[in-house]
Amino acid sequence: MTESGARLHERKHFWRDELLLILSMVVFVVVVYALDNALQPVFTPTTLLLAGVVLALIPAGIWLVFFNLQDRAEPEPKGYVLGIFILGALLAAAIGIPVVESLFRVSHWIHTSTAATILGGILVVGFTQEFLKYAAVRYSIYHTDEFDEPTDGVIYATAAGLGYATVLNIQFVVANGGVDLGAGVIRMAVVALAQATFSGITGYFLGRAKFESEPIWWMPLGITLAAVFNGVFNWLQGIVIRPTVTLSGATNNAWLGLVLAAVVALLTTGALLWLVRRNIKHLQAAE
Amino acid sequence: MHTKQNSLGDKYAEITVVVVTVIALVFGWFYKASIENASLPFSAEGVTAEAPKGWLQPEPNGDELFRTIDINSTGFGTTYSISKLTIAEDVPALEVASIVALNHAQDLLAFRVLNQQEVQVYGRSAYELEYVFIESNPDLTHSEFPKVVHGTDYIFVENGQAFVVSYQADENNYDADLNRFLLFLRSINF
Repeated sequence: MTESGARLHERKHFWRDELLLILSMVVFVVVVYALDNALQPVFTPTTLLLAGVVLALIPAGIWLVFFNLQDRAEPEPKGYVLGIFILGALLAAAIGIPVVESLFRVSHWIHTSTAATILGGILVVGFTQEFLKYAAVRYSIYHTDEFDEPTDGVIYATAAGLGYATVLNIQFVVANGGVDLGAGVIRMAVVALAQATFSGITGYFLGRAKFESEPIWWMPLGITLAAVFNGVFNWLQGIVIRPTVTLSGATNNAWLGLVLAAVVALLTTGALLWLVRRNIKHLQAAE
Repeated sequence: MHTKQNSLGDKYAEITVVVVTVIALVFGWFYKASIENASLPFSAEGVTAEAPKGWLQPEPNGDELFRTIDINSTGFGTTYSISKLTIAEDVPALEVASIVALNHAQDLLAFRVLNQQEVQVYGRSAYELEYVFIESNPDLTHSEFPKVVHGTDYIFVENGQAFVVSYQADENNYDADLNRFLLFLRSINF
């Protein structure tokens, strides 16, 4: 059963933007890494901090630019998308980071074993982050006329996820008094891709919950799935980027982390696109 | 912006999401507690204790029987230690505390006593010495600001022997790590 007035189309531009975001993240990292190696800039503590904060804002900036460009063809209120982005950022700063870092003190125990990394990553980090990104959409735009098609769930949840990622990256920069541009920019791109991807999953479930009669377990399943992806990804990321130590020294595997994030983001976006398309066809047939 | 009312199904779904999240976080809390409170038995020279599992246990120095460090701590690694001092039969705990404080003043940078008092620790009389110092890392390549460390020693005097149980943590972690130390303190037998 569809909600009256719902516009049911695929919003191909949005999916193109998602793919461009993933490619742009890789290009962004390569460019900053190459510039850092070529110019080897010297920073004061203040400029290093500022450079880190600016870099932390770039992934979200890239996505918003793409979104703005496609928006001319398929109008979506930019103010609302920006509002959800800011709401995601505020929830991360006000609740998410304090709960994970101060209340649960995750960094003290999550790396003590593989089981702790996976279970802590799912139960504490995953559920906290995915619930807050869900809340940013569910308690703001969800019941308005602006959330008028299934793909809107993915769009708004992605905006919330990028807001959350931006605050995580800024917090990382500030906590470390700035970051090494090369390694730091990889971390920022990975966090942005991962957060956008996991919230995309929640967004898909939100979109279907709004326009179809789903069972009561539907939305909890969505949050749980996103939290599991979140926890398992962080565990895999830890394995992949672990430095390889040989007799000739240690190698930095941060690039492998970016490759993993890009592959996971591409696969998840592909799966969501397929699911949304199938869902829209199903809804159109029902009409 | 026009908003629509929640249907009954929406409301139940909304509540279910909150309930599932709360359940996950409660399980996460118990799981965290089970990891943080996991312990390994320790025994040396008649002293037994339940030491935190997964912490680094370097070789003890001098009078120390036991030392363990939380390598996952931010800043200064939270450290527990037990030392055994041989003293004359009639030396009161206050005097031992003065010796311990003097030793700390010689070994630790910017050492200051914050508070000292007689206390009861799980049914035993003890002398509590609370202090602060600056971590002085001798490695000159260590390019970080020195850390402010908050510590408390519990001094137990029995039968011509003094046992000093120390708790030292980064000033930012001291309060949060204190409960775990109290579990350790409670487990000590001598």
